[in-house]
Amino acid sequence: MVFLSRIADLIDALASRHRLLPWLIAYLMLLPLPFIMSTFFNSYLIDLANRSCLFILLAVGLNIVKGFCGQVTVGHIGLYAIGAVTSAVLSLEPGGFGGALGFGLPVWVSIPIAVLVTAFAGLIVGLPSVRLEGAYLALATLGLGESVRIFIAVTPALGSSTGLMMIPAPSIGSFVFDSFTSYYYLVMTAALVGIYFSFSILRSATGRAFQAIREDTIAASVNGINVIKYKLLAFVLSAIYAGLAGALFAHMPPGYLHHNNFTVIEMVTLLLMVVLGGIGNVWGGVIGAIVVTIAYDQTKDLVVYFMDRPIVIQPLVFGLSMVLLVLFMPRGIGGWFEGVLRNRRFIKRSEEKLGGTARNS
Amino acid sequence: MALLETRNLSKSFGGLQAIDKVSLKVEPNTVHGLIGPNGSGKSTFFNLLTGVYQPDEGSQISFNGIDITSSPAHTIAELGLARTFQLLRLYGELSVLDNVMVGYHPHTKYGPLAPLINGAEVRRQDKAVREEMEELLEFIGLAEHAEIPAAELSGGQRRLLALGRAIAMRPKMLLLDEPGAGLSPVNVDNLMSTIMTLKKRYNLTIIVVEHILKVVMSTCDTISVLDHGQKISEGTPEFVKGDSAVVEAYLGREMADEDIRAAMDA
Amino acid sequence: MKLMNKVFAGLVATGVGLAATAAFAGDIRVGITMRMVSENGQAYGQMVMDEIKAINESGGINGNMIKATLMNDECKSDKGVANANKLIFQENIHLLIGSTCSSVSLPIVDVTAKAGVPQMIPHSTNSKITQKGSEWVFRIPVSGRYYGGVNAKYVGENIGTKIAYICAADAASVGDCANMEKQMRARFGVDPAYRADVQEKEVDFRSHMQKIKSMNVDGILVAALAETMARALIQSYEAGISEDVRRIGSSSASNAPVPKIAGDAAKGVFFTAAYAAADNRPIAKLFNEMTRKRYGIHAPDHDFSQAYDLVRIMEIALNNADLKLEQWSLANDRTAIRDAIASVEGYEGLASGPISFCAAPTPQCRDGNRTAVLIGYTKGGENFETEVLARVTMEPDFGLE
Repeated sequence: MVFLSRIADLIDALASRHRLLPWLIAYLMLLPLPFIMSTFFNSYLIDLANRSCLFILLAVGLNIVKGFCGQVTVGHIGLYAIGAVTSAVLSLEPGGFGGALGFGLPVWVSIPIAVLVTAFAGLIVGLPSVRLEGAYLALATLGLGESVRIFIAVTPALGSSTGLMMIPAPSIGSFVFDSFTSYYYLVMTAALVGIYFSFSILRSATGRAFQAIREDTIAASVNGINVIKYKLLAFVLSAIYAGLAGALFAHMPPGYLHHNNFTVIEMVTLLLMVVLGGIGNVWGGVIGAIVVTIAYDQTKDLVVYFMDRPIVIQPLVFGLSMVLLVLFMPRGIGGWFEGVLRNRRFIKRSEEKLGGTARNS
Repeated sequence: MALLETRNLSKSFGGLQAIDKVSLKVEPNTVHGLIGPNGSGKSTFFNLLTGVYQPDEGSQISFNGIDITSSPAHTIAELGLARTFQLLRLYGELSVLDNVMVGYHPHTKYGPLAPLINGAEVRRQDKAVREEMEELLEFIGLAEHAEIPAAELSGGQRRLLALGRAIAMRPKMLLLDEPGAGLSPVNVDNLMSTIMTLKKRYNLTIIVVEHILKVVMSTCDTISVLDHGQKISEGTPEFVKGDSAVVEAYLGREMADEDIRAAMDA
Repeated sequence: MKLMNKVFAGLVATGVGLAATAAFAGDIRVGITMRMVSENGQAYGQMVMDEIKAINESGGINGNMIKATLMNDECKSDKGVANANKLIFQENIHLLIGSTCSSVSLPIVDVTAKAGVPQMIPHSTNSKITQKGSEWVFRIPVSGRYYGGVNAKYVGENIGTKIAYICAADAASVGDCANMEKQMRARFGVDPAYRADVQEKEVDFRSHMQKIKSMNVDGILVAALAETMARALIQSYEAGISEDVRRIGSSSASNAPVPKIAGDAAKGVFFTAAYAAADNRPIAKLFNEMTRKRYGIHAPDHDFSQAYDLVRIMEIALNNADLKLEQWSLANDRTAIRDAIASVEGYEGLASGPISFCAAPTPQCRDGNRTAVLIGYTKGGENFETEVLARVTMEPDFGLE
């Protein structure tokens, strides 16, 4: 607690010098991470960090539509798939080895196009939210997300069941982003910028409109908020994150996509990150993404022998620990974190007030 | 010219005629009371005015000379018609300050994508808005609680916040749905004097639905009485008090004659 | 200052934890990534682990122990790649075994090629796996390009050329359908008489079967995963298609659930595989006996035999490789193992023909198993029985563009 408060104090002190100072320092601190990891530990951890960054982008994006705006969507993974497959197909060479569609565009062109395409798809996934709420909306978006996957699965031009392979890695001149470390700088930067913009949205009239819709749709509409417009905007914004994450996943070596990377299981894992981190809390989504990715990785080779048969107990351990966490920490790690910070602010203000009175008397 | 005018305003839910051809005029800078027994259609009337419900065919509502009969809620709000809810409908998880800042939404000058494109402008404008809203909170007496979630306020404070959120919209007209419900008589008096101060300060026209007839009788310039969705009487408090149709409507609800008179005289 | 101390202590503690997982010099580290979600998947994984344990118990490889790490990839490429990265860059393995599914093996080929780690493929049949030009990949099962040829040759010569196709959307079945279609066209100049593309886990084939019934075809190819195939077979009889119309299975027809679920509908179904449980060779009989005793499986399919053959070939290669097994020699040892596998020639194991590899990074060299066996079910149900119809060895170049 004290530790957290100290960090929060430090961040506040930095931010009072310049708004961007804490972000800049965070970025500078993250820069040498690959070297620390490969020197003191092993380079696989960089790969783990890269995947965490992709999931951070996904979770932070999902948080905009689900956490800020309160729209229950289960179609996010479908948007991730659209971003990935679009950028892959645009950048693959026509008539390439994998036998899929290809347009041979540079990766730096294919990624923005993929993000735009995904944003448009986000609008479509969001359309049911105009009329549906809660479980019904979840079902409708689930259907849309799954139909994306099935469409990929049955379309040979999009990889079908053999997948899209040998998707090129991004490059600048002769430098290719094809190692753990070089890719780390891409995804880490994207994740940090994504988090920054998520805060920018949250702390604006747009973010307040999203939250008002989440808290009370009718009150929001009589407060002059165009509920339909803002709901759709939340879907589009979250789709931009999903599209970028998908595209960065597609070009991450070894550059392979398969439709079973985008199933309901992946969607549930993603929801878990957001819920574990704390719905509506930006840092919560980030923490959730990191914790779940690492927990998943660490439980991977857990094998127990039951009646002389090896049983991979990861799904069990993973599922059970998550159920317990959600049961006993319903507001997630972020919610707890926020509580600590709020107490701190409260105490600080009281102290200031007391101090003020003391001086006055 | 009347600020708000309804002609033949009707709304039925299935077979139930909730509002039946109500025509009403509200003059600028007045306080207009709306009373009637439970279930007489007062809240439905507000919901129709503010676009929460769509009126039936043949109805007409104009506000400030603009036809808003089939306008969506947010457009009506942008035109300057604000309201409170009987059940408040505060944004419970948002801070008190954020609640009133959401109220300011119709006057936001930057587009919804501005936070991604022009963060500096967003911060500059939001800073000005925040200062203005802090002033408003100061005025209604909630400045000390600006940072805490609305759900953690006491009952009276929540009523004040609901009022503050509506005022933040800088409306021309304010619809108050039972602002004093659940408050002690002393608090009701305080609330009403706050409302009257706000009216003066912001140059408001008010329609108030209230059960506490004493409040209505003492503050309203004109009173309309609804029963079974129909307007059965309208006039000054004195006129309405003496109208036999009004007394009958309340009596029809099996209320003792003395009770209603006592309530009205109180 | 206190804060920095805490951060530093935390980092050190994490470091100690991670260092504990690092392997000891002197062990041969083998990483395995497989689909461990189905019952069969677990049994294959267990058999590989058991066989490696047996090698260690009988003295290891020239006195060195094999340290095997088994990981589950759920048949998903992203998880498989993560496993491969973890095994290679964290566990510092000398050799990777994996994976079950073609869609997982395909991207891992690129990972092992770049990292310089030999990879032995236990089950995946997709022909592109060995066409990527990696020096580090070795395939134990029969490549899909051979299966298509064997099937087409036998069907065209013994059954007829008017064939209806039912193709499910999983990777293996799509490949099987495409290969069969290509070979039927190349060899006999015919296109499918009827073709239905269905979902991976389709449950209703009745309308397709009715159409096929009215077409009077010579045979029906059912390309699908085991349970789906069994359902399609049952429904073909329910639709009233006569048993004179031969039912042809895709590569997954060898999986035990097919005859078990399909029951009588499995009788007469034939398919190509790498191993027949009805094989009369003593080695096969011993193997069947072993799987029955250890895992309760009375007729092991070719996925079992391939996993077994893989361990044997690995054992031969490791014994022949000149390994230093020091911290500094990791890259040299990996290369030595690769070269030792590449020089395995004429290995005679459970596979229906000899398995040989060679040094060139070509499919001709790395698709070591070129003999497929045609197997027919003579009885369905729990105690199903099979017979060997034919054995066909293909030319190394067969099926390449």
